[in-house]
Amino acid sequence: MLHLTYLIILLPLVGFAVQVLFGRRLGDPVAGAVATIFVGASFIVSVGVFFDLLAVHGAVRSFTQNLWTWIPVGGMQIHAGLYVDPLSMTMVLFVTGISALIHLYSIGYMKGDRDYPKFFLYLNLFVASMLILVLGNNLLVTYVGWEGVGTCSYLLVAFWFTRETAAVAGKKAFIYNRIGDAGFIAAAFLTFDKVGSLDYSVIFANVGKIGTANITAICLLLMVGVAAKSAQIPLFPWLADAMEGPTPVSALIHAATMVTAGVYLLCRVNPLLHASPDAAWIVALIGAATAFVAATIACAQNDIKKVLAYSTVSQLGYMVLAIGAGAYEAAIFLMVAHAFFKGLLFLGSGSVIHGLHDEQDLKRMGNLRVYMPITFVTFGIGWLAIAGVPPLSGFWAKGDVLDNAWAAHPALWVVGIFTALLTAYYMSRLSGLAFFGQDRWKNKVAVGADADMPDAHHAAGPIPEPHESKWVMTLPLIVLAVLAAAGGVMAFATPHLSLARWVDPVFSGSLYNDHETTSTIWKLSTLDAVVAVIGVFIGLRLWITRADRPKLEWAFLRQSWYFNEIFDAIIGRPGARLAQFTSTVIEDKVIDGAVDGTGALVRRTGMALRRVQTGYVRNYALWIVVGIVALFAFMLTRTWWA
Amino acid sequence: MDDYLPILILIILGFLFAALSFVGSAMLAPKKRPTAAKIAPYECGIVPTIEPPTRFPVRFYLVAMIFIIFDIEIVFLYPFAVIFRQLRSFGLVEVLVFAAVVFVSFLFLVSNGALTWGPAKQLVRAMPSRTSESTIARITAGPGGPGGYRDPSGPGPGGTRTTDPVPPITGDPAAPAGPVRAA
Amino acid sequence: MSTLLFAAASGAYGAKIHTPHIDYLSILPILIMMGGAVLLVTASSLFRQVMGVGSATFITVGTAIATLVAALFQWDHVVTHGAKVTIAGSIAYDGFSVFIQIVVAIAMLLTALIADGYLKREGIDGPEFHVLAMLSASGAMLMGSANDLIVIFLGLEILSIALYVLAAFNHKRAESGEAALKYFVLGAFSSAVFVYGIALVYGATGSSNLPQIADYLSKNVVASNGVLLAGLALLLVGFGFKIAAVPFHMWSPDVYQGSPSPVTGLMAAIAKAGAFAALLRVFVSSFGTLRADWQPIVWGIAILSLVVGAFAALVQKDIKRMMAYSSINHAGFILLGVQAATVRGVSASLYYLFAYMFMVIGTFAVITVVARDGDSGHQLTDYRGLGKRQPLLALAFAVLLLAQAGAPFTTGFLAKFTVVAAAVDIHSYALAVIAMASAAVAAFFYLRVVVAMYSPVGAVGDLSDLDAGELDAGPISVASPANAPVSVHGQNDAVASLSVLTEGPPTSAVADRMVRVPGLTTVAIGLSVGFTIVFGIIPGPIVDFAHQATLLFT
Repeated sequence: MLHLTYLIILLPLVGFAVQVLFGRRLGDPVAGAVATIFVGASFIVSVGVFFDLLAVHGAVRSFTQNLWTWIPVGGMQIHAGLYVDPLSMTMVLFVTGISALIHLYSIGYMKGDRDYPKFFLYLNLFVASMLILVLGNNLLVTYVGWEGVGTCSYLLVAFWFTRETAAVAGKKAFIYNRIGDAGFIAAAFLTFDKVGSLDYSVIFANVGKIGTANITAICLLLMVGVAAKSAQIPLFPWLADAMEGPTPVSALIHAATMVTAGVYLLCRVNPLLHASPDAAWIVALIGAATAFVAATIACAQNDIKKVLAYSTVSQLGYMVLAIGAGAYEAAIFLMVAHAFFKGLLFLGSGSVIHGLHDEQDLKRMGNLRVYMPITFVTFGIGWLAIAGVPPLSGFWAKGDVLDNAWAAHPALWVVGIFTALLTAYYMSRLSGLAFFGQDRWKNKVAVGADADMPDAHHAAGPIPEPHESKWVMTLPLIVLAVLAAAGGVMAFATPHLSLARWVDPVFSGSLYNDHETTSTIWKLSTLDAVVAVIGVFIGLRLWITRADRPKLEWAFLRQSWYFNEIFDAIIGRPGARLAQFTSTVIEDKVIDGAVDGTGALVRRTGMALRRVQTGYVRNYALWIVVGIVALFAFMLTRTWWA
Repeated sequence: MDDYLPILILIILGFLFAALSFVGSAMLAPKKRPTAAKIAPYECGIVPTIEPPTRFPVRFYLVAMIFIIFDIEIVFLYPFAVIFRQLRSFGLVEVLVFAAVVFVSFLFLVSNGALTWGPAKQLVRAMPSRTSESTIARITAGPGGPGGYRDPSGPGPGGTRTTDPVPPITGDPAAPAGPVRAA
Repeated sequence: MSTLLFAAASGAYGAKIHTPHIDYLSILPILIMMGGAVLLVTASSLFRQVMGVGSATFITVGTAIATLVAALFQWDHVVTHGAKVTIAGSIAYDGFSVFIQIVVAIAMLLTALIADGYLKREGIDGPEFHVLAMLSASGAMLMGSANDLIVIFLGLEILSIALYVLAAFNHKRAESGEAALKYFVLGAFSSAVFVYGIALVYGATGSSNLPQIADYLSKNVVASNGVLLAGLALLLVGFGFKIAAVPFHMWSPDVYQGSPSPVTGLMAAIAKAGAFAALLRVFVSSFGTLRADWQPIVWGIAILSLVVGAFAALVQKDIKRMMAYSSINHAGFILLGVQAATVRGVSASLYYLFAYMFMVIGTFAVITVVARDGDSGHQLTDYRGLGKRQPLLALAFAVLLLAQAGAPFTTGFLAKFTVVAAAVDIHSYALAVIAMASAAVAAFFYLRVVVAMYSPVGAVGDLSDLDAGELDAGPISVASPANAPVSVHGQNDAVASLSVLTEGPPTSAVADRMVRVPGLTTVAIGLSVGFTIVFGIIPGPIVDFAHQATLLFT
């Protein structure tokens, strides 16, 4: 089935085309079902391809499918090619799998929306773009997918574009991502300049010829792209605002798949990172800082989705930290596990929001475990998994990252373990507020109403009694809960089939190995578990009893370390002033003057042409004669000089 | 370069001849201004009252075309006839193909009515209001006459060349081998 | 016929005549195309009453498809058996010639589809249009295959004479007749120049056969031969006229404007294809050794064409005049590939011709249907609101225009890219830069049409154009009452304001009604747009195709 790899991308694309052509006619539930079927089929093909790849033995377990020569101009031969190897296959499997589940979930969640078919149209296009990104065998194909997911992200964040905040959030996501795209494309240019090809295989074969300084530059430029796409410091603020999109979008794009594209890209170019220790260090530091900062912010948020958004940023920071530390396998492991439990948490939060009639404020929730048992149980598994409570998947994945951070530098580990404590704490705070305590949703006004969080969404007036969601929404929750709980199996299923061993050939020669002694790992793991339990305990202890603890919600953290304000001060306001200057001075005086001048010039040229284009055949013939004479004159000079 | 000397001389002679012709005619010709009558178009003795329409039927064109077709055929057949023994069957086949193609064009002309003489058969939708009678009436009656084709503000007898008062002629009664067919 | 001529001519010396071996396969597409024309004229002469436009279109489409199939078979044959010269060295049978056959056959196919609707709408009956179009197409194909200057001239004349008549085809429009007359007079002039060029080249080298000329030039030092260089210059003038390169372009705005719209499309596609094919073959394979002499001329002509085409198009209000200047600009681009005179330049030019053929015929298909009855609605204002009324038609037109502007993900982009790359390859940086700058200028007037299509009909701004006076007042100087100008500015090169929304009201009161798009025209537009988009996104196959279409001798 390897040769059917192209089907993985084609199926969602066909789904997209079907939605474009017939979406409106298919209508409410059918359009969603059709979209789900296409993505599901793509998942099935992926599984087939996966088993075929599994059957390939030998050192190089990979397969390149050249679809067509895309841009064949001179020295630049760019093929539209797909590259299947354990790394891309892992991504494809969980992207298609989780996408299928979230499509299913969306059938219920988006029910009754005005633009129901459009939603699935975007969603299918997103899946196709994401798969192009993952399967591309050169930087340009990857870039096509990269732009595609960015565009879909913009369209989906601003899906309810009549809402001012959604429109603004969409723009914000788009602009931050453009900054990243510039980095990516600059890296691609530099690579092409140095290697003469954009194919990964060619680039990696020529790593030695590029030169360390250039490699560092390429890696750091790529890191700009990664920082934007995977929401790393300093380009992370867009992700919190992106929660304006429908919750399935948050789950699919802004938790499970798109935001991990940056992590995937760094894994993809691991030979480059490996050749540049400086770049790897910077990547690790950015990752550690992001993990910590985002975790602190998450402790003070009241919007359930914002907590999860910052949690996502924090987890992405872990992944980037792992990559910087050379532990690509650990990063992949956490990425997959995170896709499971964060997808689960978002879908669970969506179920909660749905049940509470679009209330997102944690302070207006409470005691939901009684009313939404399935959601509570599944969400609870996600919560404990991300907190790192053994034996759930998060424990193993995060433990792997922390072990490698310890091996790279203890300081990184310290940051990591403290972040883990914070993670357990804020997730428990969220769960405590939402599922335990009193039925605050009966109150008319939120406890400690959020005057300074104007974009938190509130349902109007008292909320009717919450209800459990339908099966299309709970089924994905259950599936993901099982995966989130049992995901740790990936680490040690069999000696031949563990995730690390599976993807190891891709990263051969990288830093990662199990060079810590078994006793060290045991000690570190025990510490992880203890920290997780402590965090959970504190969180629940503090927040079940009272929902109003302003001392623990510093304005500094609630305002995300004032990152938005800082950007506004150093970029936004000067930018606005510059724009003002441009529009009043440059536009009015310089450009308008130039345009008017050009207009006059064209007009004068036109007048000159009028005299030439007389309409009389004799004049036209005369011009031909003039041409002949000019050519003769030139030939005469050639004869003379020769 | 010697080979081209005669050509050069020929060119010079050509220029000289043209120049001399101009100079000679300017010197010899009587200096008289053209009168209005002299520059008026000549219409077989009838005093022209209007500009001729942009197109007017000349059926002889079609006859001329047919003549040219066969003329060309003869031009090609003659040299063929001179050496047809040397060309053998190849030449015969070639000339037959040629003759057939030429014949097709003749066929086309005939089917277009090139040999259908007389005004009886109208090849295209002529202007319904314009017949040979009306034309005669117009020419004889002058402005405001029964033909009524004159623009009221049009020129009087011996009209000046101001505007073309004739309405557009969309279909010509006998357009030369043009893209028109019998209605 | 040509063989007969040779036979007769050589017979005059009284020597034993060798009748050449005729390799029918090498001229099969030409024979089919000509045969189709003869068949159609015979059938319609014999069965006048039953043969309408529809059956003529049917035969023409069938002929074009048969030609295409024959050409594809030739392609396979050339690829497997190699290229050669046939029929006493007068025909080149190589990838290059087959490529041109394919381009012209497709152009003929599309034009037949478009002309069907046009002829029915305009009430022009009879098979003559299709017959003439097929004859001119066979001329273009002959130019692509010709391996002898005389045969090139033969093809040129077959192409041109049929086109002269076609230009005059809509005899209800005075512009049509005027266009034909201008085209004919100037065309005859340029043909004379071309023949004189052939004579001088023959005088200097002793042969009119292209390989023999190349052979002679490689064996003899003729660097300072004034006669040869003069001959070269005259040949360039002849070709320059056919491809409408500045300063031999003056006819093209008037002729493009006056000719029936489908004819204009055909003219732009096949006259360029044939003339460029012959130009490339003559100058790259025969006069390659004299490159230093003719390259600067082509360089200059290319720059003039690029600049004049782009800037003059900017001030047009009549879309067909605009497209005429646009085609001058395109000719400049293709000349980039000629100027490079490398294998890459040749294949870039071929790719450009192929892509341009689809774009320009598709464009004129849309222009044909938008012009409505009488083929008169060619003002920019007639396109107002098209996006609202007929979104698909407007979208197709927008795609074709953007492709001509060189927008990425269309064939137009890669076409421009490859020729510019070929120019950069031989270090003609100035030319490449000017070409790109002219593309930027050209993008403006293409986009102007697009903007017009997507702006509402009622948006009548200030009539700032009224004071602009008229340009090109002359071209359509026949004061035809049948076509009394409706708009105040006349229909000519009035300086259009650079702002789209400040133009006068549409020329006709019916401008806000739907235009009818006949089914076959829809097919033609669909094919053009489909090709432009699909092979814009997946350019590989066509680029490879153009790469393989090499000249026999370079």
